[in-house]
Amino acid sequence: MAYTTFNRNEFDTFQQPMFFGEHVNVARYDIQKHKIFENLIEKQLSFFWRPEEVDLANDRKDFIDLPEHEKHIFVSNLKYQTLLDSVQGRSPNIAFLPVVSLPELETWIETWSFSETIHSRSYTHIVRNIVPNPAEIFDDITKNEYIVRRAISVTQYYDKFIELSNYYQQLGEGTHKVNGETVEVTMRELKRRLYLTMVSVNVLEAIRFYVSFACSFAFAERAKMEGNAKIIKLIARDEALHLTGTQHMLQIMARGKDDAEFADIAEECRDDVVRIFAEAAQQEKDWAEYLFKDGSMIGLNKDILCQYVEYITNQRIAALGFEQIFPTIKNNPLPWINAWLNSDNVQVAPQEAEISSYLVGAIDSEIDTADLGDFDL
Amino acid sequence: MSALLKKQDDDSQTADGFELTGDAGEQPFELEPVIPDGSERAGEAPRQTEFFLPEQNPEQPEATPQIEFEGMPRPVFGVTLHDGRQVAFQNAATLLESLEAQNIEVHYQCREGYCGSCRAQLLEGSVHYHEEPMAWLNDDEILPCCCIPKSDIKIKL
Repeated sequence: MAYTTFNRNEFDTFQQPMFFGEHVNVARYDIQKHKIFENLIEKQLSFFWRPEEVDLANDRKDFIDLPEHEKHIFVSNLKYQTLLDSVQGRSPNIAFLPVVSLPELETWIETWSFSETIHSRSYTHIVRNIVPNPAEIFDDITKNEYIVRRAISVTQYYDKFIELSNYYQQLGEGTHKVNGETVEVTMRELKRRLYLTMVSVNVLEAIRFYVSFACSFAFAERAKMEGNAKIIKLIARDEALHLTGTQHMLQIMARGKDDAEFADIAEECRDDVVRIFAEAAQQEKDWAEYLFKDGSMIGLNKDILCQYVEYITNQRIAALGFEQIFPTIKNNPLPWINAWLNSDNVQVAPQEAEISSYLVGAIDSEIDTADLGDFDL
Repeated sequence: MSALLKKQDDDSQTADGFELTGDAGEQPFELEPVIPDGSERAGEAPRQTEFFLPEQNPEQPEATPQIEFEGMPRPVFGVTLHDGRQVAFQNAATLLESLEAQNIEVHYQCREGYCGSCRAQLLEGSVHYHEEPMAWLNDDEILPCCCIPKSDIKIKL
C-alpha cells in the first residue's frame, strides 16, 4: 500500500479505523469519529509556550554553586530529558503518520510531536544558560554508555515497527526477498508491532519522563534551579496531555472499538505489556543508581527515587486496566511533586516571569483610595 | 477660586529646579548585565509555596459563596471510602477539593480533567461533571477533580 499524500478513493471518513484503513485525504474536523483527539489538539494549542519566556538568569548562579555530585545529577538528568524529547519530536510523525486513517488523529499526532520539539528547544535554552559550551553536554548524549543504553530501550519498538511498515508501504503484504533476505509482511504483525510501540511510548511519557521530572523538581524544592523547574512544569503539563492521548489510543485499540483485530492483539500481548512496564521500571532504577553514584541530594536519594518509579509504574499500568506490578507501594513517596506538577500554577508571560499567577491579558482593575494619595489638584 | 489659582502659580515657580541639562547625575550608566548573586533570595521558601491550591477550606460555606434559597440548604452527600473512612460533601467546588479539605490524600496533577491522576473507582452512587473529562475513564471510574456527587457515594481511590 504505497503512501499517497491525497487519497482519491471515495470512502466514508468516519467509518475508518484509527490505523491501517484508507489513507487520509481531506483534513476535515467537522465531525469526528473520536472527538477526544480534537479536544486534545485544542488543549495542546491552548498550552502553547516558548522557552525564551522563562527567565533563567538565577539558574546560572545556582548551577555554579552546586556541589560536583549535584551537578552530575542535574546534567545527567538534563541529557536524559534531551534524549527522550529528541526521540518524541520526530518518531510519532515518522512511525504513525504513514498508517493513520483519521484526520483528527493525524493532526493530533502532528500537534503532539510539534510540542515535543518545543521541549527540545527548551533544553538548548537551559544548557546555554548553565555552561559556556553547550557541545560538551550535547556531544556526550551519544557517547555516554548509560544514556546510549537507555536510547536503545526507548527506540527499539519504534524502529522495529518503522522497518516493517516501510516494507509494507513499498511491497505490500506477503513474503518478499529484499537484498537477499526474506521479509514477511503480515497485517497481524504490523498491528502487533504498532500496539507494542504505542505501549512503549506510553511508558516513555508516563514513567520515564516523570522520573526525570522528579529530579528537576527536587532541585527547585530547595529553591535551586527554579527557572529550569518552571520550564519543566510547562513540559510536564504537555506530557500529561500526551499520555492521556496515548492511553486513549491504547484503550480504543484494546477494546476493539474500531478494529476488532486490535482487541485480539491486545489480549495476546498482555504479558508483553507487563514486561515492557517492568523492564522500564528496572531501567529507571538502574538509572537512579547512576544518578546518585557520587552522593545523594537533600530531599532525594536512590531509594526514594526507586520507590517513586514503582509508585508511578503502578499508577500508569493500572490506568490501562492491568494489575499493579509493585503491590507493596501504596503511597506516593514524593508527595510534594503533586504541587509542582499541578498545571493550575503554570502561567508564563515574558514580563512576569517571576509570578506564575500572572494571567496573560489580565488587568488589575482594583483601585484603593491610598493609590491616589500623592495625587494633587 | 482666585486663591487656588494663585497657589498653583506659586507651585509652578518653585518647580524650576527641574531642568533638562543632559547630566544624569552621579549614577554612572550601566551597560554590564547584572547577574543576580542569589543572596537576596536566601532563606526564601521555594516558589511552589506561592501556588494556588485553595487557600481557604473548600468545605467551609463562605469559600464558595452560593445563592442561598430560603428553606433550601445545600444538600450534604456522604462520601465513603473503600477503607471505611467517611466524609461529607457539601460546599466544595469539586469532590477532589472536598476530600483534600477533609485530610484525605488524593494523587493529582492537572486538577482539570485531562491527566487522569486522580482517577478513582465509583462503587456506589452517581456524580455530575462540570465539564467533560478528557482523561480515559472506564465505565466505573470517575475523576474527582471535575465532578461533584449527585447522591451518597462510595469510592475506591
